[in-house]
Amino acid sequence: MNLFRRELREGRAGLLGWSAGIAATVLMYVPFYPSVGGSGMMSAYLEAFSPEVSRLFGLDRMASGAGYVQATYFGLLGFLLLAIAAITWGARSIAGAEAAGTLELTLAHGVTRWQVVTESALAMLSRLAVLCAVGSVLIWALDGPARLALEPVNLVAATVALFLLTALAGAAAICGGAVSGRPAVATGLGAAVAVGAYVLDAVADLTAARWLARLSPYDWAFGRDPITTGFDAGGLALLAAAVAALLLLGGWRFARRDLMVG
Amino acid sequence: MTSAAIVAEGLVKRYGAATALRGLDLEVGRGEVFGLIGPNGAGKTTAMRIMLDIVRPTAGTVRVLGDDPREGGAALRRRVGYLPGELRLEGRARVGELLEHLARLSGPVAPGAIERLAERLGLDLGRRVGSLSKGNKQKLGLVQAFMHEPELLILDEPTSGLDPLVQQEFIALVREAKESGRTVFLSSHVLGEIEQAADRVGILDRGELVRVGTLDEVRVGRQRHVRATVGSAPGLRDALAALERTRDLRIDERDGEARLSLVVEGDVDHLVKALSRFEVRDLLIEEPELTDAVIGYYRGEAK
Repeated sequence: MNLFRRELREGRAGLLGWSAGIAATVLMYVPFYPSVGGSGMMSAYLEAFSPEVSRLFGLDRMASGAGYVQATYFGLLGFLLLAIAAITWGARSIAGAEAAGTLELTLAHGVTRWQVVTESALAMLSRLAVLCAVGSVLIWALDGPARLALEPVNLVAATVALFLLTALAGAAAICGGAVSGRPAVATGLGAAVAVGAYVLDAVADLTAARWLARLSPYDWAFGRDPITTGFDAGGLALLAAAVAALLLLGGWRFARRDLMVG
Repeated sequence: MTSAAIVAEGLVKRYGAATALRGLDLEVGRGEVFGLIGPNGAGKTTAMRIMLDIVRPTAGTVRVLGDDPREGGAALRRRVGYLPGELRLEGRARVGELLEHLARLSGPVAPGAIERLAERLGLDLGRRVGSLSKGNKQKLGLVQAFMHEPELLILDEPTSGLDPLVQQEFIALVREAKESGRTVFLSSHVLGEIEQAADRVGILDRGELVRVGTLDEVRVGRQRHVRATVGSAPGLRDALAALERTRDLRIDERDGEARLSLVVEGDVDHLVKALSRFEVRDLLIEEPELTDAVIGYYRGEAK
């Protein structure tokens, strides 16, 4: 676990920065629930927009604390920030080190290719878990003051869903880097998974095509509305399986290819 | 278990359309210091990377300490110390921290070994890795290759970027490694940098070994560029023109001085003795590089 420990140590400053960003995001939205969602103002908005637009932006659900947190943090800004963090870390760990030329020295030591993929993934997942915890603990702390009335179990369920959904984007970045050795491919694949999941779900919502939504990891995470209904084992299992599949594919290819060298 | 530290047979490596190695055959005995010489792009780095399983051969086989690098994996690499030819180091970690990290990957490293090596090479363990000069990065590279006292050292251009004093210390490290029975396989594009250290050298050219031999055997064909400034004197031109094993003689006489340049093959004793009869104001004998002409010489001989 030396690679894992080193990656965490080297990334301490970055993790602090991301944590501050997540905390700021939560603080920018959640405390204002009483004056936005809970005030009846939302009903006015709902009348002003067409039902499709309301659904797209989650306005229709903002009238409850759970719906408000889902629409602002879990489904939108939290998802966006955490996906970016996961993709950044995922792309840096293999493709970034490979393009910078620093991976050659590591691999010349008593380390296997699989070990690099495994420990890079663990480092990405651990940091992502820290960020998810920061966001959700802060939300829980604001539950009383902001009158959100969240169920603790459901908050945990939504947090796990957010974690696995953004972990999928990070795993895609690791996979892209492990397969190609190119940071652009790693970032591109990670972004494609994150954006693709979101867009697919949004299009499915607008066109009311449920079958389309079932293809989207975003729907696997939030389709059953875990913040109000609790754990959706099926969706979480799908996400976890997809994360594992991407990492296995990346490791399989990485163990077989040449390191990209100058 | 074979007695050889490295055995390569018919090693071929292609990168897309480019061919880096075209059938390399090589044997390095245990306890030997072997120098691989060749111009840049000859395939030295590729050969070494295959031995560390950084890249995989297109065809042929290589055995390192008796094992295939791919099957030997991490366990084999712990027995090898490697200095990459293009050593890149980044990050905010300190030199000592990075070395300890690498020691945990390939250890065990004897207590104090890192400090002793750093002291000998003049490397500051407290500096940040990203801020190191090229020479200091090279020192770090040497420390991490030597620190766990591996059975085999594979060093790609080890002296590049080192000042002469540190080069001497490096040569001493190689001698000590040899004395304790370890094998050293190193490369250079300049013969002079490793001739003090190597028992045998191989000349690699365009992905093939064109000559292997002891230093004396290989030394015969090597060429040096010589430049000198000599006070003008009658007979100078004739004396130089009569010298054996020289070519490309140019003499530029003006203001009572003759500036001359020539290429000498082999040792320079006869040239120095010939010049000593004149007033030598300046004399520069360059280290023998493996110029295209030298390579051409071996290439012709190999056929």
